[in-house]
This record gives sequence, C-alpha cells and structure tokens, in this order.
Amino acid sequence: MPHFKTFQIAGKFIISMVAVVVIQGILAYRFQVVRYFDLPLLCTVYYGFTLGNPIASILMGSSLGIMQDSLSAAVLGTNGLSKTLIGFIAASAGSKFAVDQPITRIFALFLFTLADGLLVTMITQAVSPASNATYGGTLGGWLLSATFNTLLGLVLLGYHDRLNNATT
Amino acid sequence: MATIASKKPVWVTLGVALLLHTMLISLQTSRRFDTSFFRGWILDSLSPLEKLVDRTFHGTGSILDRYLALIGVHDENARLRAEVDDLKMQLAMQKEEILEADRLRKFVGLEDSRLGKPVVARVIGRDPTQSHQSVTIDKGRAHGIRPDAAVITPEGIVGRVIYAGNYSSIVQLIVDSQSGVGILVLPNRRMGIIKGSGSAELDLDYIDDDSELKEGDLMITSGDDRIYPKGLPVGKITSVGPRRGLFKTVRIRPTADLGRLEEVLCVVEKPKTIEMNPMERPAP
Repeated sequence: MPHFKTFQIAGKFIISMVAVVVIQGILAYRFQVVRYFDLPLLCTVYYGFTLGNPIASILMGSSLGIMQDSLSAAVLGTNGLSKTLIGFIAASAGSKFAVDQPITRIFALFLFTLADGLLVTMITQAVSPASNATYGGTLGGWLLSATFNTLLGLVLLGYHDRLNNATT
Repeated sequence: MATIASKKPVWVTLGVALLLHTMLISLQTSRRFDTSFFRGWILDSLSPLEKLVDRTFHGTGSILDRYLALIGVHDENARLRAEVDDLKMQLAMQKEEILEADRLRKFVGLEDSRLGKPVVARVIGRDPTQSHQSVTIDKGRAHGIRPDAAVITPEGIVGRVIYAGNYSSIVQLIVDSQSGVGILVLPNRRMGIIKGSGSAELDLDYIDDDSELKEGDLMITSGDDRIYPKGLPVGKITSVGPRRGLFKTVRIRPTADLGRLEEVLCVVEKPKTIEMNPMERPAP
C-alpha cells in the first residue's frame, strides 16, 4: 500500500511536469508575451521551496530542463544543467530562509530567472561559439523576463499556498 | 559531522545529475555520440499532447471565425472571382515563359533548379525556452522529413529542420542566434551571409560589397548554403547603419511573418544544384 502511494505521488509529479512544459510551448506559440515567462523555472523554484526534499528538487529541475531542451533548438542538457542547479539552490534556500514571505519570493524569483538566463547563454556560447547572441543584447530580455516571471510567480505561488491551506 | 553525513545523498544526486548533463552536452558538441534518438523519443512522447491541445485551440477558434466570416461574404466573393480571372490570365502567360525557360535550360545544359518535393506541416508549438527561436511542426521522419530540410512559406523562408522525430520535428527559425543563410541582394545580386540575432530581425554577417545597400532592398536565397533552394525571398533591409568592423550594420526583417506561423512547407527532396555540364560547356 505505501508503494502504491509513492507511485501515485510520482505519477502526479510526472503528469504536472509534462503539462507545464507542453503548456509553455503551446502558449508561447499562441501568445508572444508568454515567451518571457518560464513556467518550468517557476515550477522548479516553487517545489524547491516547499518540498523540503533537495533530492526531489534536483530530479524535478533536471527532468523539466531536459524536457524543455527536447522541445527546443537548444543543445540537450543546457536547461537541464541550469535547472538542476536552481532546483538544488532553491531547496537549500527553502530550508534556510522564510520563503513563504512575498519579499523573499520576489528576490528569489528575480535572481533565479537572471541566473537561469545567464547560465543558459554561457553554456550556449561555450558549445557553439558561432552563436550570434551577446550578453548585452539579451540583458534587456532577461530583465523583462525576470520581472514577468516574478509577477506571475508571486500570483501562482500565492494561489497554490491558499489551495494547500484550504485542503489541509 | 552528522549534518554532512545526512546531506551526502543530496551531494551525490547533485553530482550525478550535473555530470550526466555535462556529458550529454559534451557528447553532442564533439559529435562522438548521436543523441537524436533520446531527443526524438521525448519529442514523440510529448508531441501528441501538443497536437491535441493545438487542435482544441484551433477548433474553438475556427468555429468562431466561421461565424464571423459570413459577414460581407458576398462582396468578398465577387472580388475574389475577379482576382481569379486576373490570375488565370497571368498563369497562362507564365506557362509560356516556363516552357521557354525549360527549352533554354536544356539548350545550355543546365539541370532543373525548381523547388524539391514539399510536405505541408502545421506548427503546433514554439520553443519553451527564451534562449532559442524554434517551432515544433506536426510532421517527422514518417513523412519524409530529415534534418536540414528547408522550411518555407509563400512569403519567404522560415528556417530548417534541426531534429526530426517520427511524427514531429523541431524547426530552427532564421532569426535564431545560431542560424545563417546564404543570400543575394536584389537588384545588384551581391552575395552575402546573414545571421539571426535572437530577436525579430537578422544581421548582415558578410557581403561582397556593401556600398550600394539601402533600405527596402530585397534579399533572396543564394542556394550556396545547400539548405535553402535558390531564389526564395528571405527579408528586406530595414536599416543601414555606420560601418562596424568590416561591414556596415545592416538589419533585415524576414518577409515571412515568423510570429504568426500556422502552415509551412518542408522541402523533403532537395532540388538539384545548378551546375554547368562540362561536356556541353560552350568554348570560350
């Protein structure tokens, strides 16, 4: 019976991870502004904060990143590497700081989005030097993305917290 | 001591995950190991879900569109009939010109350079990351699509297939920062190379002579990159700035609307390159 429950929880996580990546791809195609959001990153950070299990956060970040890479033109492993690190740091921060406070979340979401953008660009430039992307050229995009992600993250995380409180 | 011991599995998991990703990146970069099966497997697993959601979106949208389209349909019908008559006349004239071109091509020993076999595909998703510009299409290896197949629309080129799964593929758009296209500038037919900038426009990377470039000049594919067939529209120059390095700073806007792609054509059989038959080459 405990095994069944473990499978049930794992199944729920896998379905939600697949849904997050697919929804990101479809919404980005339908609505241009969605390109500035990163739902897999928000998912990694949120579960890093709340699961209290760094191993699960690392695996979740890793899987979300690799799925993102598979549906993208990126080299396989680029987002995987970046989101693995973010999952681990978010889990470590979750045990040390009061991450249920809005001000902590604002800082964390903003910094994690910038760090993700920087890491992915660094890896892309390292593996394909012919790339035309520059740090200066993409800085505006990162800042815009960090702002959008922080705002959406605050709303989604707040809503998820309320839902959790209502069910417990 | 106890804390370090209790955190050991975390560090091991982190180390293994980072090592796996680094190895994956390294293997792809050095091309020692083909990882396309792994990407294809995930792509084929996720794309049915993408197709399903896309069809639902598209279905709901088209029901609404069909109702709205009935407004003013009579006037539009009359206008389209006149347009069809006009196009029929143009077609008849162009058929004659094609026959004449065919005769001349045979006469000078040139092979057929027309577009290869096209497959119509539907765009079902966009790149879920911000660092790259790509779209997912609903056709793959089962439909004859292979990596490096050119993807075009009637307005201009879109990009090339970089990963082909069995039933879906990833298309790198020409505006992606790792994309490059061989071009000819009209009307003086100067040859050059343009690269994606990661934004909505492209940058000029190389050209024979940039002295005559001006806003509004059309760029077409040169066919030298061996991906895109020759003569397809690529983009129009939107600005010519001061010289930076060897060439002027030139921005180009793609002629195809890459933000609103729905159906695209994939060229699955590349056209033969135009080469003069040495046996029939005219004497100097």
